[in-house]
Amino acid sequence: MRGFGYLTKEGIKSVWNNRMMSAASIGVLVSCLLITGAAMLISMNVKNVVDQVGKDNQVTVFLKEDIDSVQAVQKIGPEIRKLDNIASCEFYSKEEAITEWEEELGPLFSELQGQENPLPNAFHVAMVDLSQYEDTVNNIKAVEGVDIISDRSDIAKRLTDLNRLVTQVGMWLVLALGIISLFIISNSVRMTMYSRRFEISIMKSVGATNHFVRTPFVIEGIVLGLISGVLASVIIAFLYEAMINAVKYIVPITEIPYSDLAVNMSIGFVVFGMIVGAIGALISIGRYLNMEGGEILGW
Amino acid sequence: MIQFKNVTKVYPSGTKALDNVSINIEKGEFVFIVGASGAGKSTFLKLIMKEEQPTSGKLYVNGINTTDMPKRRVPYLRRTMGIVFQDFRLIDKMTVFDNVAFAMRVIGARPRAVKKRVHYILGLVGLKDKAQSRPAELSGGEQQRVSLARALVNNPTLIIADEPTGNIDPEMSFEIIELLNEINKQGTTIIVVTHEHELVHKFKNRVIEIQGGKVTSDTGAPSEKAELTIEISEEDLAEIPEEIAEEIPDVTAEELNREALREIDGEAADE
Repeated sequence: MRGFGYLTKEGIKSVWNNRMMSAASIGVLVSCLLITGAAMLISMNVKNVVDQVGKDNQVTVFLKEDIDSVQAVQKIGPEIRKLDNIASCEFYSKEEAITEWEEELGPLFSELQGQENPLPNAFHVAMVDLSQYEDTVNNIKAVEGVDIISDRSDIAKRLTDLNRLVTQVGMWLVLALGIISLFIISNSVRMTMYSRRFEISIMKSVGATNHFVRTPFVIEGIVLGLISGVLASVIIAFLYEAMINAVKYIVPITEIPYSDLAVNMSIGFVVFGMIVGAIGALISIGRYLNMEGGEILGW
Repeated sequence: MIQFKNVTKVYPSGTKALDNVSINIEKGEFVFIVGASGAGKSTFLKLIMKEEQPTSGKLYVNGINTTDMPKRRVPYLRRTMGIVFQDFRLIDKMTVFDNVAFAMRVIGARPRAVKKRVHYILGLVGLKDKAQSRPAELSGGEQQRVSLARALVNNPTLIIADEPTGNIDPEMSFEIIELLNEINKQGTTIIVVTHEHELVHKFKNRVIEIQGGKVTSDTGAPSEKAELTIEISEEDLAEIPEEIAEEIPDVTAEELNREALREIDGEAADE
């Protein structure tokens, strides 16, 4: 496209020429990105904790009395593992079970060892997604040799609900802050445009197409978004630990290490900033594109 | 080139700026549009530039009916014309070169073509040595020449100048119109809106007078001398400085007009 290089240069130059305004927009956009990012990071950490709790919440699959350890490990274990939504499936022998009972409840159970042991062999099964609890339980029940499954559906439901709540709150927060960011950048580009309305009127009078008038401002918006995204990525890396410590002060959690999140977070910030910048500029310029000569200059 | 066919323009406020105007401007003409403030001169230009749309009637520019022209075609129509404003409309932070180049760049001209053409045009308006100056460093006349260079740079077939001499001294005004005359000799159609009767009288071009939205007089092209009228009013006479007036004993506006016409006829006979 002819002239695109010139228009790109003009857009970038404009960020520098209107540096006070650019600094203000970048400042506000960085703040918005940081709040959005912090909300996302907290939401991700809470979700992580919820997932962790979900994984720890294993169901116990009791096998029929006539199933011995060898059959359980060689036949039933692999069959359960083959099912969907199984995160882990660990054999829990009746010997281990009675020992645990003995440790917890006292020597009363010491006589129930060996042939006298009334407990069945079992598996501790953890699920990937607790929202599929019912289906997974039914599938396990269908495996030959499985007797009963300890019912944890209430906990599964509560964890699923909590997870959904955290995801939804996070999404709404990101959406709301996204709209605020859009408003801010659109206002900032509008002010730049106001200060350059003279140039816009000349551009239109010499026959510049709307595309040519629009491009430098969109590029300016994208550049502002890009700079804000990069700055926010750097700042959040420093803030993450302090933020998690503050959360830990209220709720004890195991945080996700920032190194696991850094790349996605930075890409997210930069892309989000650039999209908001471009859309914000497009919203503002639309008004000027429909005006002519003196109207643009406010005469 | 430009044809107004029963064009009326009424603004949303109810102001009738042009009332059933029909006029023809041929290719290569030099036309002065005169009239008092609010007479409809600016609307006349805005309609040609398609900054405004006629309320009724038809308007043709370069043979194209611009009344029904879709918005996306308007930039291409404007590329066929160059516009000179009273207030120059130069961008302060740009050099003279960049101000002129701006008009080429925004229509996507290649850098090499921009460089070559801008230097040529600056030479044409006598500002080659001011290429790197800023508008603020130039006189009013020079600034208007930059504005003229910007209007010329895309090689338009039509130049529209809206009060081009309104902000410059009389001597410079004369130079600007002279320059426009030179450009006109190359075949470019020129339309100049002005309220400076003195300037209009100095050049023997077609004069269209607009009053209250109507064309009240049209001298026609200069070749049609029979229709040529030079208007020097009693008010104009009163404005002649005393020391000059003393040298013109008992002269009336009518006599002066007759004298002027005789001179024009004489020049025509000499040719």
